[in-house]
Amino acid sequence: MVDVNTSREQLLETLTSIDTQTLITIILIFLIAYVLARIITTLLSKLSEKMSRSGRIKVKIIIPIVKFVIYVIAFYYIFGEIFKIFGAEILLLTGILGAAIGFGIKDLFSDLIGGLVITFEKPYQIGDKISIGSYYGEVTDISLRATKLVTPDANTVTAPNSLIFNEAVASGNYGASEMMVVIDLYIAGESNVETAMRILREAVVSSKYVYISKKSPIVILHKALPFYTRLRAKAYVNDLRDQFKFESDVHTRTWIEFQKNGIRAPQLNVLNIPSMEGNYELDVTTLRNFGSNTGGLKKSK
Amino acid sequence: MGTQHSGSEEKSFGEILGLRDEIGEIQASIADYETGKKLNIAIIAGNLAGKTTLLGEIERINLSRATGIAFSEIVRDRKEISLPDDAKRVVLFDNCHYLYMRKPGGFDIFYEFLDMISSQDRIFVTTWNLHTWKYLNEAFGLGRYFPVQIFIPAFNKEDLRLFILKRYGKNEIIFASDKQSKEEPLLYIIKYPFELAFLGKKIFIPVPKINILYLKNRLLNKQEQEIETAEDRVLEKIYLESKGNPGIALRIWELGLDYPRIEPKNIGQFSFNIDLEYEAAFTLSLILSYQGLKKTEIAEIIGSIIRVDEILFQLLTQELILKDEANSYRVRPEALGSVIAYMEKLRLVW
Repeated sequence: MVDVNTSREQLLETLTSIDTQTLITIILIFLIAYVLARIITTLLSKLSEKMSRSGRIKVKIIIPIVKFVIYVIAFYYIFGEIFKIFGAEILLLTGILGAAIGFGIKDLFSDLIGGLVITFEKPYQIGDKISIGSYYGEVTDISLRATKLVTPDANTVTAPNSLIFNEAVASGNYGASEMMVVIDLYIAGESNVETAMRILREAVVSSKYVYISKKSPIVILHKALPFYTRLRAKAYVNDLRDQFKFESDVHTRTWIEFQKNGIRAPQLNVLNIPSMEGNYELDVTTLRNFGSNTGGLKKSK
Repeated sequence: MGTQHSGSEEKSFGEILGLRDEIGEIQASIADYETGKKLNIAIIAGNLAGKTTLLGEIERINLSRATGIAFSEIVRDRKEISLPDDAKRVVLFDNCHYLYMRKPGGFDIFYEFLDMISSQDRIFVTTWNLHTWKYLNEAFGLGRYFPVQIFIPAFNKEDLRLFILKRYGKNEIIFASDKQSKEEPLLYIIKYPFELAFLGKKIFIPVPKINILYLKNRLLNKQEQEIETAEDRVLEKIYLESKGNPGIALRIWELGLDYPRIEPKNIGQFSFNIDLEYEAAFTLSLILSYQGLKKTEIAEIIGSIIRVDEILFQLLTQELILKDEANSYRVRPEALGSVIAYMEKLRLVW
């Protein structure tokens, strides 16, 4: 009890002794830590971009850890060297901070804890393609408070780290540079499925973006539906950044070969889609197949 | 004047190549076939590593019972793979990496070939480019059709010496010591080449080395020590640069030779700083995997002749490829190390 009282007195004494000079020193230390973290992050990012695809991810993984270490050292220096606060005093300070958190900075604290969890538990890493909440994109930065994502439309989204406590996180590659891509194509029900599957398989394995390995096999699936047939290719893209290029490349080359072999897209009328003259919105997945087969469109008219 | 070894004519070429084990294994499989065991053979090697030469040696050994077919461009007609009526029981197919075209609808000949080699009562000995083999094996399980797979190993230094010098008469080539060889006869610095796939670059690291040959000659008081030292240094540099690949070694030799004289300092060490757009890199990987491609073939795979012109111009100006007398584009032998490292970095070959 005596010890706690002594600690409390020492802590109060320390906190009341903070003058302008000390405040400036603290701000300077944080500033130096921030600049240092930025420099190291930039250097590591640039280095990783020059490396192989797997090397890029490996280097980027260490960026959040380096940042965390820099900030821990900064905090340690401030508490240990400037305030001379150790042990029980830190516990007391935590109590005071807890009260402060209760009053107003709960969210910030939650984000910081989220940042620590992300750094050490690694539900995702820099370079991963993730979906969290309603966001999807490549993780470009993980700071203590927030995670930055670049969406497929090149928008930068800053998602608070506390999202991981409330939302499920899905990582498409989880530290690898290759990532599975699912490509769906829809063909007319009367098409020769065997030929179509062979063409789709060849389009996938011959794509310049494909990652081929026995550990990451290419799977071609067929599902016959009442009015049309769905073909699905599950394959890995060599670099997750080329996900959409890969999809587009497979679609384009598959449809060129489908047309040579008389394989057509489903007719619009069997999908209950209104006439092209009217104002309507097509389902995105269906739309992309029709673009390469104008024959089907003409017939439906 | 020189001390080069050229009295190797009496040896069979297979022995010169240091491929006695490989030839033995192939011959054993052919012998097994005669007793009813059918094991198709794939000879697999990187560019310029000697697979055609090895197949030629197999054909020479089995002249009376072998039929040979070689491809020099992408096969488009089924007739090219069909066997003649008088085909013998051992069939040799050279350059099988030309049996497919990397595009949808470009694998029909390849499927037919696999069907033929698995259904016909013959033994098939085939050669494949290493990168194509790995690609087709991962994508189509090609290895299942070839129970015997021979990967041609790199030459050792002595094999490489014989391979290069067998082309010349005794003492025809003059090995001359350069300034560095004279000034640092015992201890010298040699630059070891390393191909770093994670950086996509070939780098050179200087390493100090003791000249054992010089030391030995000095102790034995031999007169020709200077010449032997020069020869040793020339061949050592070629060996390190080529990593035991005979085709690359020969090219480096030819580039350094000022007939009939050659000096260690004239043996080049090549490193190319490659930075290409993805499509150009993919085209380069195709040229590497097929070993040689015509412009029309590349255009058919890429899908645009205009783009191919741009890419080929870019690759030619960066001196990564050359156009041979058959109008095929090939990777320059001296650039192979850098190109492979770059392709491995992008995981376009592995």
